[in-house]
Amino acid sequence: MTAVKKICGVLLVSLLAVTEAAGAGNASPIVALGFEASTQTLIKVDTDALYRSDDEGRKWVRTPLPPSAKGHTLTVAVSGKGGALYLAGPGVGVLRSEDGGLSWLARNEGLPEGTVVALSVHADQPDTVYAVLSRQGIFRSEDGGASWRLMDKGPRKSIVQFVHSNMPGSMQTGWFFAATTKGVSRAMDCFCGWRDAGGLSGKVSAVSYDPSQPQHVYAASSEGLFLSVNGGEQWTKTLSPPAAIAALIVTPSGTLYAAAGDGKLYRSADRAKTWE
Amino acid sequence: MRSTILGAVIAIFGLAAAHASDKPLTALDPGQIKAGRMVYEKHCAVCHGVRAEGATSWQQPDAQGELPAPPHDPEGHTWKHSDAMLYRIVMQGWRDPFNKTTRLTMPAFAGILSPQEVRAVIGYLKTLWRSEQQRFQREESRNQSFP
Repeated sequence: MTAVKKICGVLLVSLLAVTEAAGAGNASPIVALGFEASTQTLIKVDTDALYRSDDEGRKWVRTPLPPSAKGHTLTVAVSGKGGALYLAGPGVGVLRSEDGGLSWLARNEGLPEGTVVALSVHADQPDTVYAVLSRQGIFRSEDGGASWRLMDKGPRKSIVQFVHSNMPGSMQTGWFFAATTKGVSRAMDCFCGWRDAGGLSGKVSAVSYDPSQPQHVYAASSEGLFLSVNGGEQWTKTLSPPAAIAALIVTPSGTLYAAAGDGKLYRSADRAKTWE
Repeated sequence: MRSTILGAVIAIFGLAAAHASDKPLTALDPGQIKAGRMVYEKHCAVCHGVRAEGATSWQQPDAQGELPAPPHDPEGHTWKHSDAMLYRIVMQGWRDPFNKTTRLTMPAFAGILSPQEVRAVIGYLKTLWRSEQQRFQREESRNQSFP
């Protein structure tokens, strides 16, 4: 990672930004989704590029990922209120962009060598970011990634993806919902211990929550798509898109997007009752 | 007379504890720590354990969906929380939203303990932690100190 830090320490300017239609799908699978609330911009990332759409996914502006991240990106996080983008993956560390992905800066001070498998921005604090390292645990930055601190080992099961939520009831400011190799795990953001969230037992590939109704949480596994309306206590199977789901995001207006492994993006405006 | 002395000790400790996040714990007076320990033994130990070891199986919800009282020793997570948060939780209590009951999971001590006593007992808890945990908690409290 040291070499990557040096490479990424300088500004990485992308060369191309291309507009393309939505229906074509990606050449490579989508690995992450995000939503920038301040600009109402939907973001998707595949292994080669980051795509932005300000019309609910009808048209996309493609921006190539920095060379160090191509083929290595696992996760992206969007500071919904501040507009910063974070990108991470094996050998990539954490990268931050303040211009929509045109340029990236390494943000690894305090992060050990290792693989960042998941990222999430605090639901209400734009400069607070969380990174999961596969072996070390969960790190927190309160200064937009400038410095990091180990906070917790995380749940016993491996985290695949996770999200910070402002669901009420936390001792501190919110909750984490983690998609793990065995169900969904939940913890308050004071890191007061992880608990199983409901009875999902298989590997969960994606988890997200509805910002307008934070108790509403979605989880995707090989068994389908599930919705919990009580913060992960019980799950109900819903209609799933016709492909395995790699990433989920819910916009503040409640629209649910699901990225499928085949590169297609599905949209539901009615809590997964129908998909388009 | 004894309660008067205790009250004075707690009051002095309260002033000192207000700035505890800026000072090493060794700067605290043993008498102040003792006052906090007395508060702990009287009000907290019944749930959190005499040695602050917590309830058995504290990490697993019980039949009512409640999390048993956690330890305050190095094995727990109390050391991860700022002075402001610990003070708020002791004063106001907290209800686990996933309880099957309506009662508070952690009872509120406002009206039972004075602000000075709450600061004192938190000061006592800090003596139970490892030095790196104390350092971590001081840093967490830097911008979130006692009210």
